[in-house]
Amino acid sequence: MTFFSELGRRLLMLVRRHQFDRELEEEMRLHQELREQEHLGAGMSAEEAHYTARRHFGNATLTQERSRDMWGWSWLENAMQDVRYGLRQLRRSPGFTAVAVLTLALGIGANTAIFTLIDAVMLRSLPVANPGQLYRLGDNNNCCVMIGTQNGGSFVLYSYPLYEHLRDDTTDFSEVAAFQPFLSDLSVRRSGVASAAEPYKGEFVSGNYFTMFGVGAIAGRALSSSDDKSGAPPAAVMSYHTWQTHFGGDPSVIGATFTINTVPYTVVGVTPPGFYGDTLRSDPPDFWLPLAADPDRWLFSAEPEWLYLIGRLRPGVAPERVQAQLTGELQQWLGSRPEVIPERDRGDIAKQHIHLTPAPSGVDQMQTDYAAALRLLVTIAALVLLIACANIANLLLARGAADRSASALRLALGAPRARLIRQKLTETILLAVAGGAAGLYVAYAGTRTILLLAFRGAHYIPISPKPSLPVLGFAFFLALVTGVVFGAAPAWIGSRADPADALRGAGRSTGDRTSVVQKPLIILQVAFSIVLLIGAGLVTQSLRNLEYQHFGFVTEGRLIVNIAPSLAGYTPDKLDGLYQRLEEALPRIPRVLSASLSWYSPLGGNNANEGVYIHGKPPDYRWTAPSWDRVGPHYFETIGTRLLRGRAIEERDTPAAQRIAVINETFARRFFPKEDPIGQHLGMGDASHSGDYEIVGIVEDAKYQDTRGPAYATFFLPLLQTPPGEPLRGWVGAIELYVAGKPEDLEPFVRKTVAGIDPNLTILRVQSFAEQVNLNFNQDRLIARLTELFGLLALILACVGLYGVTAYAVERRTNEIGIRMALGAGRRNVLGLVLGSALTQLGLGLAIGIPAALAGGRLLAGQLYGVKSYDPMILGLAASILAGCAVLAASVPARRATKVDPMVALRQE
Amino acid sequence: MLGGVPLHRDEIPPGTLYLLILRTLARGGEMHGYEIADSIQRISEDVLQVEEGSLYPALQRMLIKGWVKAKWGVTAGDRRARYYQLTTLGRKQLAVEVSQFERVMRAIARVVQTA
Repeated sequence: MTFFSELGRRLLMLVRRHQFDRELEEEMRLHQELREQEHLGAGMSAEEAHYTARRHFGNATLTQERSRDMWGWSWLENAMQDVRYGLRQLRRSPGFTAVAVLTLALGIGANTAIFTLIDAVMLRSLPVANPGQLYRLGDNNNCCVMIGTQNGGSFVLYSYPLYEHLRDDTTDFSEVAAFQPFLSDLSVRRSGVASAAEPYKGEFVSGNYFTMFGVGAIAGRALSSSDDKSGAPPAAVMSYHTWQTHFGGDPSVIGATFTINTVPYTVVGVTPPGFYGDTLRSDPPDFWLPLAADPDRWLFSAEPEWLYLIGRLRPGVAPERVQAQLTGELQQWLGSRPEVIPERDRGDIAKQHIHLTPAPSGVDQMQTDYAAALRLLVTIAALVLLIACANIANLLLARGAADRSASALRLALGAPRARLIRQKLTETILLAVAGGAAGLYVAYAGTRTILLLAFRGAHYIPISPKPSLPVLGFAFFLALVTGVVFGAAPAWIGSRADPADALRGAGRSTGDRTSVVQKPLIILQVAFSIVLLIGAGLVTQSLRNLEYQHFGFVTEGRLIVNIAPSLAGYTPDKLDGLYQRLEEALPRIPRVLSASLSWYSPLGGNNANEGVYIHGKPPDYRWTAPSWDRVGPHYFETIGTRLLRGRAIEERDTPAAQRIAVINETFARRFFPKEDPIGQHLGMGDASHSGDYEIVGIVEDAKYQDTRGPAYATFFLPLLQTPPGEPLRGWVGAIELYVAGKPEDLEPFVRKTVAGIDPNLTILRVQSFAEQVNLNFNQDRLIARLTELFGLLALILACVGLYGVTAYAVERRTNEIGIRMALGAGRRNVLGLVLGSALTQLGLGLAIGIPAALAGGRLLAGQLYGVKSYDPMILGLAASILAGCAVLAASVPARRATKVDPMVALRQE
Repeated sequence: MLGGVPLHRDEIPPGTLYLLILRTLARGGEMHGYEIADSIQRISEDVLQVEEGSLYPALQRMLIKGWVKAKWGVTAGDRRARYYQLTTLGRKQLAVEVSQFERVMRAIARVVQTA
């Protein structure tokens, strides 16, 4: 109580401090006057009475100040004074302030941008109820379909019957939901609307998916278990983002019928804004559909393992116990299903286990993919901020030296050193906070750019570049720390001014503490800059190597069009007709030189592999299963892959004709190391199929999946050839066009041609082959561009720093230079004198920085392609660029030094 | 002290200023600053000299602490002056300070007499 009433009185004092000040003054004046009258009454002279009264009272100003201290607000008043003083100081030198704020904005902005991403990607939980209760059944991101035991025994993909078993037998979860690990292409048309079907992304999920996440619907209702039963009317849930951007938030969407992949679904609801499903990724699902609604799903087969599971653990349940129980159930289940685990693998059942991992952020796909890149970017951004700090510290030092006489004078007049330091620090913190505020804008723009670079080709990224509360806090904290870091040394040095200097006159002090700190800062800047420049050189070269490598195909002048006949309701017997019509119509499009069809095209994100059986050879389990693709006539010439021997797949390879295959070099080398592959036979499934296809040709190796490693062993089959009685797998998903001129310009003609053949055949995507390949390097490009940008920034900052320090040295040594020249030193000597010092700093910086870059390069080595981390060319280039710029920066003030007129310099004395 | 002060007076022991002010106000009711200083001096028979200026920071602190309250009035000489008055809290504080002072004095006296 007493405390609060005291605080109340203090606050009153603060608010009415001017009135209280006046009253105090009046009161003290009365005191002195009364005393004076008393002395007069005692017979003193008027003058004597006045001074005696004054003397007895003491220092009235000091007394008043001490009285004011009693109110307890002097710290605030001092701080306000310091802030006003700081602002005045900054306004006095707008050039310095602008450079400093800009430098800081870039430094803090870069770090805040990276932190925004880290916050969004690494730290944020799913926008669902109590994400801390979510656990994933599995610890890796293996995709997409497996059979039998799993990699390392750690189960992550589950068959539907196994899911049902675990869901119904484990009481420790309130819900366990299942969903597809990847998104499916959907062909969607709103019923009653005359437009063509449009491509969307969908995810098939178990009925309790939304119940498990605790996510309702913002309009309509979410999916429920009753939607996920065979025979239930097909229901779908639309994402908020899709509802807003594609349907304008139209409320009539809820309850409307949409034809999705030829099946009529009712859209029963819209998810809340911000919900993007179980995995943070670009282009999240537009629709969520029940697993049971999909006719192609393996709901009743225990063999294919194709679902990820996430469960919500009941409060108070120990995950370790549940994990052990799940593993027990898994092993028991596998043991009772001979059709799932073949005889030869039964010994591995005891090794199969379920690792229950906390999943507050769902499936950590992006988190895993971008961890290394983000770590690298954090390091780089921190380096840039350090360089910026060093630079501003240097500028402050030079400026501090300029107002040293002012500081000396204030010290001489009795200003406490602590107050001087506090004022300087206040000034730098003001700078830092201004820089931080400007940095927020840089961060916003930077994050947007980074997202565009990182997710080139995406339509929608569920990450907001707007700074969140933690990001704002981070930026403010960073600004404060930065202010203290770059302000501490200059403030301390500034306060060491010798009061005697003020009396002696400026510029005569011999001890120069400023340069003692300045030079190491420059050396440090040079060192950091060379590390960044070498890093930028390495990742840029690596990106170039990746982009311009020999892929085994040619991207120039090629257009790739993705389609999905299955989504338009095609059945296997109708495919032949569709393929023929496409093969006839596509080459007739003007400017098309050659056209072909295939299951999938290189580096488009698709790859199929399957065990192969060679006629007359025992199965070889040493190798991972080779890749395979289905391609039509002219495929290899259209994408620019060279035929090395035999023949390619041609028009004559119809379903009825003899079944043939074309293999690549690696396939030939691996499976036929000694004999001629042509004329040999291969097949899929089991050994009885080893005679299915005859090898008729060999093509050069081409990369289809992994851009860094060697091409996979691959075999190619005709579009429709399949052994009798086997279902046709590998329907056409890609059209390749080799065109004269810009491939992108062909898009409208292609769309028209395809629509002319079948208006329901949805075009999922049209892009140039070059763009399709380029999307594989999004992360490398992101790192390269940012490192280049940061490297350039570091270079500029280091040069500005070196210029500033040299200019400052020249100014301080004008007298000395004048005397030297008067004594006969030539311009060359003077130039050497000034440049020598700059070159020493440069040399020392390089001497520290290059070994550091070499050490750092080894950490980078894993991300580099075709370039060694100690590449001498890049090392030399980076060092010469930095040296060149630095010498240029230092020579400007050095040349000014040679123009010093000895007479003028001496007269200044 | 720079000037030649005619009378030699003892400085009041540190920390006792509050006690003196509180005691003076307890005896005299409403007083302004000059009267307080004067009163301390007179009652101590001119032995204790309040450094007159130091009275005011002390009064400000006592206002903040709520030991005294102040209101503006008019002096006998028709001058505006701030009159201070003890509060209930101030009386309690006076009791505390007095007992503390007596404890210290007894202790000092014991030390001095034992010698």
